[in-house]
Amino acid sequence: MAKFAKLGLLTSVLLGSAMPTVAAERIQVTGEIVDTWCSITGIMFAYGTAHHQCAVWCAAGGIPVSIKSADGTFYMVLKIEDDATSVANPTILKVQTHNVTVDGELHKRDGVNYLFVSKVADDKGIVNMTHDDYGVVPFGN
Amino acid sequence: MKYSLTAMIAVFAAMSTASVANAADGWGIENEQIVEIEATVVDIACSLTKDCPPNCGDGKRQLGLLTADGKLRVATKGASIFAGAARELIPYCGKIVFADGLLIENPAMTIFMVQNLRISKSEKLQPATAFDTEWAKANGKADEWYRSDPAVKQVIEADGVFGIKGLAPKP
Repeated sequence: MAKFAKLGLLTSVLLGSAMPTVAAERIQVTGEIVDTWCSITGIMFAYGTAHHQCAVWCAAGGIPVSIKSADGTFYMVLKIEDDATSVANPTILKVQTHNVTVDGELHKRDGVNYLFVSKVADDKGIVNMTHDDYGVVPFGN
Repeated sequence: MKYSLTAMIAVFAAMSTASVANAADGWGIENEQIVEIEATVVDIACSLTKDCPPNCGDGKRQLGLLTADGKLRVATKGASIFAGAARELIPYCGKIVFADGLLIENPAMTIFMVQNLRISKSEKLQPATAFDTEWAKANGKADEWYRSDPAVKQVIEADGVFGIKGLAPKP
């Protein structure tokens, strides 16, 4: 019986029918581009200049990036403009820690806000100066 | 929230030794659960938008774990230091795996760290460290891949560790 259940799940996944499409919402978000793992787990201080190098490492390693808005909401970025690459995307590496305003399509599913960015409307660069308080995180200078 | 040096050293020690575990190691992260989930490896963007390139995007897209009860877990982290899970899961696109790791149900976002994998319960768990092997194959051996990675070096050499040209750590 379990084998039939597995087969059914696999078949429906391959046919794309096991995953209900969630209604998307057009939104504009302003916030800092952050490393999802360090910021969500809280294993270290994960914001601004202090954590920039680590955020670049993690993005290069393929960890998803998110935008943290001023109200504390996290949006995991799955696409930036015409580029649907979301693993070690060179464009994302170059804008890590930047404060951006983006337009995009929001899909909410199982505790995650997934964001498909259609346009970067504004990029203020890095504005969150945290290095005086935290130094270089992790490992220090 | 304080981030002590000792705690961070412990975390990174766990990161470097997680590869030999037979079952997931807890990290003491708030809201974490050590679990082994049976799930199908899926391309998350495909599952949400029906934009579905072949082979889950060949490792260029974030991957998820879809359980039989319809829960989609985003595989955020593998067992290699500073590395995600896409390279670990891409060989199993569309297939069922048993992923051993940490389910972290943070109110801000639910994420999953894959520490070990197997394709049936009767098999031994294998560490989710394909990233290290593949990185070394592409770039050569390095003690700390993240300091030697060409893409990282390009960004850090251009703008410095704080991301702002001319701003450097105090000696």
